Amino acid sequence: MRIRVTSWLWRMVLFVWALTVLLPLFWILYQSLKTNQEFFADIWAFPSHLKWGNYEKAWTQLGIGKSVINTLYYVGLSLLISLFVSTVNAYAFTRIQWKLRSLLWSVIMISLFLPGINILVSQYTLMRALDLTNSLNGLVLLAGLPVGAFELLLLGSFMRSLPKELDESAFIDGATLFQVFRKIILPLSMPGIVTIGIFKFVGLYNDFLGPFILISDPDKYPISVNMYNANAMMEFKADWVTLLAGLVITIIPTVIVYVLFQRKIIEGATMGGVKG
Amino acid sequence: MHFLKSARFQKAIFLFIVVAPAFAAYVLFTLYPNALSIFYSFLDWDGIGVKTFIGWDNYIRLFQDPFISRALQHNLILLVTVIPITLAISLVLADLLVNRTFGENSFYKVLYFFPNVLSLVVIALIWSFIYDGTFGLLNGLLQVFGLGGEHNWLGSKSTALLSMIPLYVWCYVGFYVVIFMNAMQGIPKSLYESATLDGITHMQRFTKITLPLLSGVIRVGTIFLILSVIKGFEYMLIMTKGGPGGSTEVISLYMFNLAFGGLNLGQHFYGYASTIGMMIFVLLVGLKLVVDKFFAKDSVEY
Repeated sequence: MRIRVTSWLWRMVLFVWALTVLLPLFWILYQSLKTNQEFFADIWAFPSHLKWGNYEKAWTQLGIGKSVINTLYYVGLSLLISLFVSTVNAYAFTRIQWKLRSLLWSVIMISLFLPGINILVSQYTLMRALDLTNSLNGLVLLAGLPVGAFELLLLGSFMRSLPKELDESAFIDGATLFQVFRKIILPLSMPGIVTIGIFKFVGLYNDFLGPFILISDPDKYPISVNMYNANAMMEFKADWVTLLAGLVITIIPTVIVYVLFQRKIIEGATMGGVKG
Repeated sequence: MHFLKSARFQKAIFLFIVVAPAFAAYVLFTLYPNALSIFYSFLDWDGIGVKTFIGWDNYIRLFQDPFISRALQHNLILLVTVIPITLAISLVLADLLVNRTFGENSFYKVLYFFPNVLSLVVIALIWSFIYDGTFGLLNGLLQVFGLGGEHNWLGSKSTALLSMIPLYVWCYVGFYVVIFMNAMQGIPKSLYESATLDGITHMQRFTKITLPLLSGVIRVGTIFLILSVIKGFEYMLIMTKGGPGGSTEVISLYMFNLAFGGLNLGQHFYGYASTIGMMIFVLLVGLKLVVDKFFAKDSVEY
């Protein structure tokens, strides 16, 4: 009997934590369908009718429509470039023999020990000197082109596990390096590439500080900076329900991607932490 | 011979097209700014005008600047609260999810992790609404239970910094639940079975077997959390801008404001901000070494 009671008690503990995650999200959704008057009068009261118009207003007046396009461009292009860079580099670093390979590999791995917080200023002045500030293409370049240590480690270990005989026999059959990469290694590495891709997508979509520092023109804001700015404007407009509707719109892509790929996301995110 | 030659040529082309630009970009955008920030830390520079080399002056200023010690105190408060609370909650939740067979467990694991994929701005704005003084969720809940509920949590000096603690814990717990679950599932069942025969309780099993075996993972988790807490100033930047009265200004935010804020300063301090960046860098590496040393002795192998 005692065991059953404590068992239910522990079950409640799990439930309460689940509630702390769900409650704020549902609360945002709930309030976003009210009018401002209803929202100010009583936060618990039901809305008299569901105000879907808040979402329309958020899309146009808060500039979310425009920022969604900016985000698609920035995230899409960065993702494409960075996946290409990661995959071909993982191939070059794990399956081709060349002179400077281990040296360059260690130089790239240095970045695992760099916290990054100390280069906010110098990275900004560098981008400014290259005339890449206030430009989505500048952001894409910064996010997409440099080879990343984490991606290289993950994809590299994946490619190392593929048997060597695969490329060797293809080379004997007269295949070129490009063919081997495209026809053999690339398809077999797909699971690893997808993991990195989703992981990168979440990171790029959520990125705030980079665009916040580098982009000053509101027409070029990605969605995260746009929401920050919309919130700052509310001090003068006090149109909170529209802001909440904007928040819900911002969350929707995250929820969709998470529901579809939660296993891959959790796997990718915790990969670095599992090893002591 | 001809085959070898062309294969070699292919390789050179491939490496030149593939490795060279990505590596050059890495050196330019990651390594070079790190070197540059060392150089900047010795300058008096507002970002536009003349760069004046002032030697160690900025470093001396670090020790005389009262805002530095205040900001570090705020960091310390967050570190000593957020880390143990996060680890404790995650360990308990992970143990429950692994060792109790409730039907909803697999759903909970996915749900708990969800804050990790939410955008930082979204989290910051959600919590701003939770803490709001007039229409906040927290005040609403307090009113339902008749416990007041008029307080402006982020607007008053006494509660603003403390209000950040639940936010951080909320963000981090899901990640560590998964990390600890993976580690717990890696513990051999045989270890538990012999203990169960000896009539050990759930609680003893948790404290006597699970926790010691997890010390390595907990160490890694602690280092991760230190990094995240010290680096993560964006919540304060978005929610309070360091206020009210500087009560939520942590060290990274102070650095950020010196360089980019210019709100009350009327001027940017790129040199001094870089010096603070160097200090944070040293701090992070130092803390990592301390944690490594502190935990290294009692890590367990099985």
